[in-house]
Amino acid sequence: MKEYSVVGKPLTRVDGRVKVTGQAQYAGDITLPNMLYGKILRSPHPHAKIVNIDTSQAEALPGVKAVVTGRDTGGIRFGFVDTPRYPADEYPLAIDKVRYIGEEVAAVAAIDEITAAEALSLIEVDYEPMPAVFDPEEALKDGAPKVHEEIVPTTTCAWQDWGVARDARPYKVVNNICATVSISYGDSEQGFKESDYVREDRFIIPATSHTAMEPHVALANFDSSDKLNVWLSHMSYEVKRYWLAKTLGIPISKVRVHKAFIGGAFGGKINLFPYEFLAAFLSRKTGQPVRIVLSREEVFTSCRLSHRMIINVKTGVKSGGTIMAQEVNLINDPGAYRGSSPVVMFLAHSFCNPIYNIPNLKHKGIGVYTNKAICMPKRGHGSPQARFAIESQLDMIAEDLGIDPAEIRLKNVRKTGDVLPNGDRLDSCGLGMGIWRVVEATKWKQKRGKGNNQGIGMGLAAMFSGAAYYPFGSGAIVKLNADGTATLFTGQAEFGQGSDTAMSQIAAEVLGLTLADIVLVSADSELCPIDIGGFVSAGIFVSGEAVRRAAADARQQLLDNAAEALGAKIDDLDIANGRIYVKSNPEKTVSFSQIVRDSIQKHNGDSIIGKGFCKPVPEIEFYPSLSKGTGRFTDAYGFAIAVAEVEVDPETARVKVIRITIADDSGFSINPVNVQGQLESQAVMGMGDVLFEEIVTDEGRIINPSFADYKIPGVCDIAEFRHIPVDSIEPKGPFGGKEVGECSRAAVIAAIANAICNAIGARIYSLPITPEKILEALKNKGK
Amino acid sequence: MKQLILLTVNGEAYEVAVEPRMTLLDVLRDNLGLTGTKKACDLGNCGSCTVLLDSKPVVSCLLLAVDAQGRDILTIEGLAKNGQLHPLQQAFIDYSALQCGFCTPGMLLSAKALLDSNPEPTEDEVKEAISGNLCRCTGYGNIVEAILKVVRSKKGDEIR
Repeated sequence: MKEYSVVGKPLTRVDGRVKVTGQAQYAGDITLPNMLYGKILRSPHPHAKIVNIDTSQAEALPGVKAVVTGRDTGGIRFGFVDTPRYPADEYPLAIDKVRYIGEEVAAVAAIDEITAAEALSLIEVDYEPMPAVFDPEEALKDGAPKVHEEIVPTTTCAWQDWGVARDARPYKVVNNICATVSISYGDSEQGFKESDYVREDRFIIPATSHTAMEPHVALANFDSSDKLNVWLSHMSYEVKRYWLAKTLGIPISKVRVHKAFIGGAFGGKINLFPYEFLAAFLSRKTGQPVRIVLSREEVFTSCRLSHRMIINVKTGVKSGGTIMAQEVNLINDPGAYRGSSPVVMFLAHSFCNPIYNIPNLKHKGIGVYTNKAICMPKRGHGSPQARFAIESQLDMIAEDLGIDPAEIRLKNVRKTGDVLPNGDRLDSCGLGMGIWRVVEATKWKQKRGKGNNQGIGMGLAAMFSGAAYYPFGSGAIVKLNADGTATLFTGQAEFGQGSDTAMSQIAAEVLGLTLADIVLVSADSELCPIDIGGFVSAGIFVSGEAVRRAAADARQQLLDNAAEALGAKIDDLDIANGRIYVKSNPEKTVSFSQIVRDSIQKHNGDSIIGKGFCKPVPEIEFYPSLSKGTGRFTDAYGFAIAVAEVEVDPETARVKVIRITIADDSGFSINPVNVQGQLESQAVMGMGDVLFEEIVTDEGRIINPSFADYKIPGVCDIAEFRHIPVDSIEPKGPFGGKEVGECSRAAVIAAIANAICNAIGARIYSLPITPEKILEALKNKGK
Repeated sequence: MKQLILLTVNGEAYEVAVEPRMTLLDVLRDNLGLTGTKKACDLGNCGSCTVLLDSKPVVSCLLLAVDAQGRDILTIEGLAKNGQLHPLQQAFIDYSALQCGFCTPGMLLSAKALLDSNPEPTEDEVKEAISGNLCRCTGYGNIVEAILKVVRSKKGDEIR
């Protein structure tokens, strides 16, 4: 492998110093002169008509500058999904009725937080409660309460805005169905007939919260030129400003998202939230900056959850373990609005698609409205749910047939060069090698099924490296400076994943500079080019490649100038340590800064600016079909193979995770330390998913909306962690890199669940796997 | 009614007019502009707002500012001295013990309180000391490692 000097090195984070000194500014740390404080009144009812809202007392309170309701904000809808088939279904403030507890009903801006809170208490809302429905299978029945009437688009849909020549049409809601997915290839009926063994199981996955440590914040300021300046908790400025512009009815160039550090995201800060719109709306109304900081309870109840799913899996295999057919039927309960339902149901298939070679497959999903909090993407978006179900069942099949779970996986995994049913090709796939390595490293065969309340289990997962979604590509700009440094402009937002460092490393490597030579300008929508954002694991593969190309463009221009100065051919030049040298005569050199100065002096002030672009899946225009699962999805998949070792206390059923080993195929690691950080992060998050995390509701009310009642892993819960890299190079990725940030969580969840089952000799079909469920399973096993 | 109080933060004396109901966290952030101390739950559950009060870690969201009078308050802004990072800060950078950085100030102050009172803690003691500080990004392993590196370097080893 080529020896690099900056990429592939475990360099420390470029944002480390500002973060350890407390200087890093997050949106909630920024205060503007004359700033007002916004607060939101939320529905206490799961389903109710709004008969009347009286804001007069609140408006009369000294210090209150504005009170707004749905009458003021109007009928423009927004949503994570806004397609001709599925028009957006959310409002920034409820118009005629509320559909879940926590839905936004009114908002105030006041001179301080206490006045704003008092004003909320003075708003009188006259509700007429309606029958509500909380169970998706109940909601599907005839005669169930209707969460939505027909959804009639009030504007063009996002797809039209982005160039799809199809009109949005009204969405008629039947039996509360908000979306459907039906994907099929091969002939599953025939596949089952040809199988020696078929089994069918049902799994239930609850909603969980992202719980990024930074609560959601929006600071908005319409300045004197009618420009909206915002500082947000986000993962991509493009999505935020598109929706802010659309809902506020202003040109997109009138919205500037400023750089702020983001205190964790995990998929929970992608879409537009009502509080962001409201901060902007209140700022426009008052002519003053408005900041809205959500409380932790508001984050739990109104900032979206991971998707609830009921998954039925039927799989047929040959007696040797070869999978012949699989049918997945899932019910998704995204809550009171569609959220990302059609997407997550599609992804629950397409993130599984590259793992096992399943010749005959049916994947059906129904999304169903209920009167509960809304669900959106969370790290892996559909993969954790699907992998828990499919990997659990595969272990049961292996046991039924007397095959080792690692063997049955090895028998069925896809390999490099495979072409998937949708046309995606696996140019890099380390599944097989990863299983071999992890089996060896964990002494799998010796430990498997040894009893003594100890267990070991495996789980596999895969993930896109970006996909075709708005804004469909990333750009990057590299400006060479006369002092020998380079300024990099990238839209990637730093929310902990290390994008500021990785993007800088890529630019430095291409230009023959050190990391310290890169001046970074990131995540400012006014200064930086288009960017696809930090979700669907697109960061390195798409934006990183754009940065590589921009730096390569600048490098080419630099060498053109150097060739002239050194009297040498371009092919004979290279850059090292900030100097350009002639390869055939290394004594002949010229400094980087000299060439930049020469270029400015000799070429009409040309200071050398490189630009680069990258589009995921360049062959396709717009989206693949979510409902049919056809069309290309991504250009590269990341893979993870996790093995968990657990011990279960036979008395209390308390599970102790002893060790988690992850073999990951994330391609070339631009920064190996940060890659390991992503994996360790997912190992611990996945442990929380299996052992503790569940949003518990009672009649639609979330009853555990705090860190006291919703436990996430603490330092005393963590297990020993081991990372086994699978050396793979993704030919299309920058330096061979691809996704790493989302894949492993699902693999870890499946691995821990399987390890617990291995330890207790019984299967738990729902998450989280609590001591109560284990004791119940043990009791039933004894029967 | 606001009342005038005197707070000593990072060795500096501040005279501030506060309402008696205001927490130390809000006064640090809103009145003194010391936003390095983070508000993540405001209920004392997550440790993000940890500051040192007479060298002991407290969650500043549960402490009234008026009750912090006459005490030595150390926030993250006071941890580096004359531009020189505290060894814990350097170790957090060197051993990749942070990602989004939101829990980092509280985590560092809990760790400092531990090392000041117990310069040679065991791994379990380190874990206990930061068990009230939640982190959703790192998985904690590198944080424990960074703190133990400082412990070992104080014992004479090189910190890298």
